[in-house]
Amino acid sequence: MPVYIDISRCIGCRSCEVACQRVHGGRGHVNVHFVGDTASVPIFCHHCEEANCTVVCFTGALHKEGERTAFDVEKCTGCGLCRLACPFGVVWTDKIAHKCDLCDGRESGPTCVTTCPANALSTDFDLAASRARARAAKIAVLGGRK
Amino acid sequence: MIKVDASLCLGCLSCSNVCPSQNITRSEVSGKRSIHWKRCKEECDLCVEFCPAKALKLVAFDENVPEPDLSFDLVACRICKSRYATEPMLRRIESTLPLSMQKDATGLEWIRICPVCRRDIEAQRATQQMVQGRTSKSLKK
Repeated sequence: MPVYIDISRCIGCRSCEVACQRVHGGRGHVNVHFVGDTASVPIFCHHCEEANCTVVCFTGALHKEGERTAFDVEKCTGCGLCRLACPFGVVWTDKIAHKCDLCDGRESGPTCVTTCPANALSTDFDLAASRARARAAKIAVLGGRK
Repeated sequence: MIKVDASLCLGCLSCSNVCPSQNITRSEVSGKRSIHWKRCKEECDLCVEFCPAKALKLVAFDENVPEPDLSFDLVACRICKSRYATEPMLRRIESTLPLSMQKDATGLEWIRICPVCRRDIEAQRATQQMVQGRTSKSLKK
């Protein structure tokens, strides 16, 4: 998952949604979901190692390019099988499929990451891993809240 | 002219999307998707080539053969009841994906849940994880 989320930092401002739409001509690939009063969670493509969307795509429009699950618009027929095969609901089809491309070609990296005012999104695996470890350690020592 | 094998067609609309002369029309009214293949004289086989189910073939033009028509009842999401896919498309997903990918923790089969509800479930899962990590102040000394 090349963009990592720390939802404890997310303030639910939806800046990532707007930034994504701005970069992708109005069609965004991030959705901020609100879980009651507890949290807001930006949901977007995980770029799965074994990606269901690439398995069901019969033309090869969706394919793996290194870590990225890439999309070749020229090969897409808009059949919508990828949309139904994604367990996280983050591939869309309106006549043609669209999904997170990690802002391919943008020098400064994914726009959601550079935009996030709360520092909740990052592309840094080590940072994400150390935050997760710290959280796990805190739960172990102090007991978690249910 | 296009011949459709109704037992193979997924109702996915690939053919309608790729047809350069709008000879394959579709409509979606009250949970039902209908597809209509017009009698076509074009020298073109894009729809045949881009059918994921190989349900189409070209046959000689014949005015007496009726234009093919198919309709599909869209399947309702197990959670929100919105109509989001045709049954043959979901079956195709179930037969293509390895079984290990079809398991899920919710007890509901995720393929039978619409993409919007799938995102909600993922948000709830992530939230549970995060809340556990919030230590309440009374525990701190």
